[in-house]
Amino acid sequence: MGKLRQQVNKWMMQNLELPADVVMDLPRITMIGQLHIYIENHRGVKAFSNEQLTLKLKQGVLHIKGSEFVIKTILPEEILLEGTISSVDFENE
Amino acid sequence: MKTKWNHLKGYVRVEIIGQDSSSFINTCIQSGISLWDIQPLDDNRALVSISVSDIQRARSILKENKLKIRIKEKKGTPFLLKRMWKRNGFILGMLSFICLLFLLSNMIWNINVTGANPKTEYELRKAAVELGVIKGKFIFLLPNVREIQRDLTEKMDNVTWIGVTQHGTSYRFEVVEKEIPEAKQVTGPRHLVATKEAVIHSVFVEKGQPIVGVNDYVKKGSLLVSGLIGKEKKPQLVSAKGEIWGEVWYQTEVEVPLNTSFQTYTGKSKNRHYVSLFGLNVPVYGFSEGEFKDKTETLNESPLYLAKWKMPFSYIKKEIRETDGVKRSYSKAEAIEVGKKMAKKELSKKLPHDAKINGEKVWQQNVSNGKVKLTMLYQVIENIASAQPIPIQQGE
Repeated sequence: MGKLRQQVNKWMMQNLELPADVVMDLPRITMIGQLHIYIENHRGVKAFSNEQLTLKLKQGVLHIKGSEFVIKTILPEEILLEGTISSVDFENE
Repeated sequence: MKTKWNHLKGYVRVEIIGQDSSSFINTCIQSGISLWDIQPLDDNRALVSISVSDIQRARSILKENKLKIRIKEKKGTPFLLKRMWKRNGFILGMLSFICLLFLLSNMIWNINVTGANPKTEYELRKAAVELGVIKGKFIFLLPNVREIQRDLTEKMDNVTWIGVTQHGTSYRFEVVEKEIPEAKQVTGPRHLVATKEAVIHSVFVEKGQPIVGVNDYVKKGSLLVSGLIGKEKKPQLVSAKGEIWGEVWYQTEVEVPLNTSFQTYTGKSKNRHYVSLFGLNVPVYGFSEGEFKDKTETLNESPLYLAKWKMPFSYIKKEIRETDGVKRSYSKAEAIEVGKKMAKKELSKKLPHDAKINGEKVWQQNVSNGKVKLTMLYQVIENIASAQPIPIQQGE
């Protein structure tokens, strides 16, 4: 059932030109150089320290690594992180 | 924008001590408590900003997660005000200083009178006091300069004109006094001469030798009564005195329009009060326009001053008065009648008090462009004598 729905969504995205983050509930990540990272559609903070932020996603987690991290704003589905970002990794569980 | 709002409401920087601060963040967000500027210090400490209104709810969540809280900084307007209130004496002093400066700079400090002699100055100051122009009065409570000037000029009758100017906190009255020449008793020898072209009507000589008789025609400047009397060989000099009445013709032109429209006030009026802020007029009291069909509006602005600077706000009083249009029309005969009266009035302004109008005649009259134009001739009997001193030749 879930598989079918995912395929329908994928088809809608490709053929109806709907944005993928809306249709498939994927995170939308906006980065400004290394300074800011703005993530929409996250599912909560898993771990947070000076050098690393781990965010829960609908599927899997997102690791953001760097230094001098500060969460400027955090809302139920959005987060703005400031610092020096060195890497953004996806990890599918 | 959001951070500005938080700043206004006030927020605290708190240190959260204990493991697993991320679960605290998640719970907070899910229960609608907003957090920002989250800065991890080390493994079990993090610095977080929370708005004041959310702090109680955050505390209970912290208890559930077995975390400790320590308030580090209090930021935003409420805390700033609280801190400032500790130095309230300082603030009150500053405010009262501004208030005092404001009040003092809207007070009359000085009244100068120039151009008046001590007596007139005393009277003027007294009249000014009656109008309320007193040292220590607030300027914004007084009528404006124009009105003061008009009222003062009306009150003082030995003064031709009073100029009222306001320089900051001082009023200056410039006075032009009426010069009432004292009738000088001429004692020196003199002739009497004619002031204008005339036919002599009657002669009354107190002193001197009359030269002219009744019905004589005299030109301007011709000798009427000589100050030389006695024998021709040995004349005596006297101060000639007398009244010579002459018949003088005057010509006056008047125009009377047949149709005239006037505006009169009906007596109904409405006042509106405004406070002007940076050129924007905010109505304060009196909101109806009066619903008058015809009206005139007068604006009366009294600006406020702080020291020498005009403040961007002022008090404006708007007076709306109902007017009524009245039309007046004359027939031709009426217009001529009115014209005659007008001409006579105009003439009597020019004539000395003791002159007498003996006869009048319509010289020309024509109607054009809705106007009656009259040229009137008047026969006036007036005193035409004026003194002319006789130069005394020295050494004779």
